[in-house]
Amino acid sequence: MSKPHSVIRQTITTPIVLIVVLLAMAALTYAFGSRAFNRTAIEMFINIMVVVGLYAFVGNSGLLSFGHISFMCLGAYMTAWLAIPPVMKSITLKGLPGWLLHTQLPMWVATPISGVFAALFALIVGRIIMRLSGIAASIATFGLLGVVNNVYSNWDTVTGGQGSIVGIPPTMNVWIGWLGAAVAIVIAYLYSISRSGLALRATRDEAVAASASGVDIVRERLIAFVVSAFIIGLAGALYGHFLSIVNPGSFYLRTTFITLSMLVVGGMYSLSGAVSGVVAMSVLIELFRNLEKGVSLGGVTVGLPNGVQEIAIGIITIIILIYLPTGLTRNREFSWRGWPLQRRLAPSVQTALKEIN
Amino acid sequence: MSSGGLELVAHEVSVQFEGLKALSEVTLAVPRGRITGLIGPNGAGKTTLINVLTGFQSAGTGSVALEGQAVNGIAAHKLRRMGVARTFQSGRLFRDLPVIDNLEVTGVGLGQRRRDAIAEAQRVMAWLGISHLAGMIAGALPYTDERRVAIGRAIMCTPRYLLLDEPAAGMSEHESHDLAVIIRRIAAELGIGVLLIEHNIGLVLELCERIFVLDSGEIIEVGSPTQIRNSDAVRHAYMGTQQDELLPVEEAVAS
Ligand SMILES: Nc1ncnc2c1ncn2[C@@H]1O[C@H](COP(=O)(O)OP(=O)(O)OP(=O)(O)O)[C@@H](O)[C@H]1O
Ligand SMILES: [Mg+2]
Repeated sequence: MSKPHSVIRQTITTPIVLIVVLLAMAALTYAFGSRAFNRTAIEMFINIMVVVGLYAFVGNSGLLSFGHISFMCLGAYMTAWLAIPPVMKSITLKGLPGWLLHTQLPMWVATPISGVFAALFALIVGRIIMRLSGIAASIATFGLLGVVNNVYSNWDTVTGGQGSIVGIPPTMNVWIGWLGAAVAIVIAYLYSISRSGLALRATRDEAVAASASGVDIVRERLIAFVVSAFIIGLAGALYGHFLSIVNPGSFYLRTTFITLSMLVVGGMYSLSGAVSGVVAMSVLIELFRNLEKGVSLGGVTVGLPNGVQEIAIGIITIIILIYLPTGLTRNREFSWRGWPLQRRLAPSVQTALKEIN
Repeated sequence: MSSGGLELVAHEVSVQFEGLKALSEVTLAVPRGRITGLIGPNGAGKTTLINVLTGFQSAGTGSVALEGQAVNGIAAHKLRRMGVARTFQSGRLFRDLPVIDNLEVTGVGLGQRRRDAIAEAQRVMAWLGISHLAGMIAGALPYTDERRVAIGRAIMCTPRYLLLDEPAAGMSEHESHDLAVIIRRIAAELGIGVLLIEHNIGLVLELCERIFVLDSGEIIEVGSPTQIRNSDAVRHAYMGTQQDELLPVEEAVAS
C-alpha cells in the first residue's frame, strides 16, 4: 500500500473497457446492420469523438464550453480543402491559395492535419479566453462559435458560403469510425491521468487553493483546450469524409446542443460518462427517428409528427438530470471491479479517474 | 534579527476595499525556522495580510519582500513555487479528489512528475501521521482530518514559509495540542518560517516567539508572549470588540 503505485495500472481498465465495448458494437453493426444502420453507427462514433473531446476540457476544468463545435467546423473544412479533387476545388473554391488548390491528400493524412489546424487555432484564441473565469469564459466560447460560424458562412470564395461544398471522398466505414473513437478515448484518457489533467481537476474543485498549490490555472486550462480542440478537429475531418459534403449549418447550435446534452446525460466529469451519454442518446435519437418515419401496426402506419424528436430528447434530458443530476454514470468510471467498490464510498462524491488504493 | 535577512517581510503595506481600510501601513516579518503569531479580533485584517503575503491580494501601497527580493505583484502560484505556502481559513480541500491527490496536486504544481509527486505525498502523509487517510475522498473527511490534510498539502516539497490561517478553529483542546506538536516540528525539523493566525490565543502564546496584534488594520502591539499578556492595548482591543474574546487571554495569563 505504501509503495509508489502506478497511475496507469490503476486506471487503464476504463479506456480498455470502453474501446472493447465499442469494438463489439462496430463488429455487430458490420455483421448484421443494414446500410442505414451502418451510417447511424458511424455517426455515433463521430459523436463519441466530439463528446470525448468536450469531456477532455469540460470534464477536467468544470468550465462549460459552447464553442467546441467550431473546432469541428475547422477540422471539416480543412479536410474539404485538402481532400477534394483539385478539378472540383478550382471551380467552387477559387479563393484558396494555389498550393492548396493543387493538393489532394488521402484521408489518413488530411485528418491529422485537420486536427492540428483546430488545435493551433485553439492555442491562439485560448490564450485570451482561458484568462476569463467561470461564466465569462463560457460566454466567450459561445462568442467563438458565432464568429467562426459567421466567417465560414460568408467567406464565399474559400468556404463556399452558406451552401455546401461537395466532393470529399466518402471513405468512411464503421471500422474507421470505431478507430476514430478509440483514438479520441486514448488521447482524453492520457490527458486525464497527466500532470496537467490532475492539476486542472484541482482547479475545478477549488481554483484558489489550486493557485496556492503552485498550479498555473490559465496554462493548464489552455493545454486542455488545445487537446480537446485536436480531438474535435479530428472528428470534424471524419465527419467531412462521412457526409462527403460540408456546410456551416452542420456545425452550429443544434450540434452544440445535442453534444452537450450527451455529455451531461452521461456524466460530464467522467470519460465513461462521455461515451455512455453518446450511446444512450444515439439509441433514443434513432428510436424517435424511426417513430417519426412511422411504424406499421396491422396495415395502418402510425407516425409521430416531425420535430417530436428534438422535443422528446429535450424532455428526456431534463428528466434524467432531475433524477440523476450527475448523469447516467454518476460521474464514475467503468472498470472490472470498480463499480461495486466505489459504490460503498460516499454516494455524492464525484471524481474523474480517481485513484483508490 | 539573527537570521540575517532570511525572512518574509511585509513593509508598510496598506490595502483598501472601496473606502474600507483593511490594512494601514502594516509591517511584519516572518523569520525562517521560527513561529510568529498574528492575532486580532474578527475583521482586523489578518486574512487580508496573508493574502498580500501570498500573492492573492495586491498591496495598495507598501512592499513585500522574500529574503531580500521584492515580490510585489507576483502571482500566487509563482510565489508558492518560490516557497511561500499557506492554508485557508475555510479549508478549501479539493473535495472530489482523494487525500493523496490533494497533496499530489502541489507536487505537480511545483513541477514534479506524477510518480515523484505521489512518492512525496506519501512521505509527507507518513511524516504527519495521516497515511491511513490516503484513499479517502477529501470531501468526506471529518473536520480535524481536513485541517491536517490542508497542512500536508501546504508542506509538500518543504516550502520556506508557511502561513496558517486559523488551523485550530473548531478543534477540541486535545486536538489543538496535537496540532501544536505538528507546528513545532514544522518549524524545528523542517526549518520553515511559520506565521500562525489563531483565535485560540492560548495556542499562540504557547507556540510563538514573537506575536503581532492587529486591530482594524493596524498593528497595535508587537512582542514576546509575556509582553502581549501584559499589554493594555491588546486588552482594550479585545474588550472593545468582543467581550468573550478576553477570556482566552485571561485564561492563558492565569495558567
Ligand atoms: N475582498 C474584499 N472586499 C471587500 N472587503 C473585504 C474583502 N476582504 C476582506 N474585506 C474586509 O476587510 C476587513 C478585514 O477582513 P479579514 O478577512 O482580513 O479579517 P480577519 O482578521 O481575517 O477576520 P476573521 O478573524 O473573521 O477571519 C473586513 O472588514 C472585511 O469585511
Ligand atoms: Mg480571517
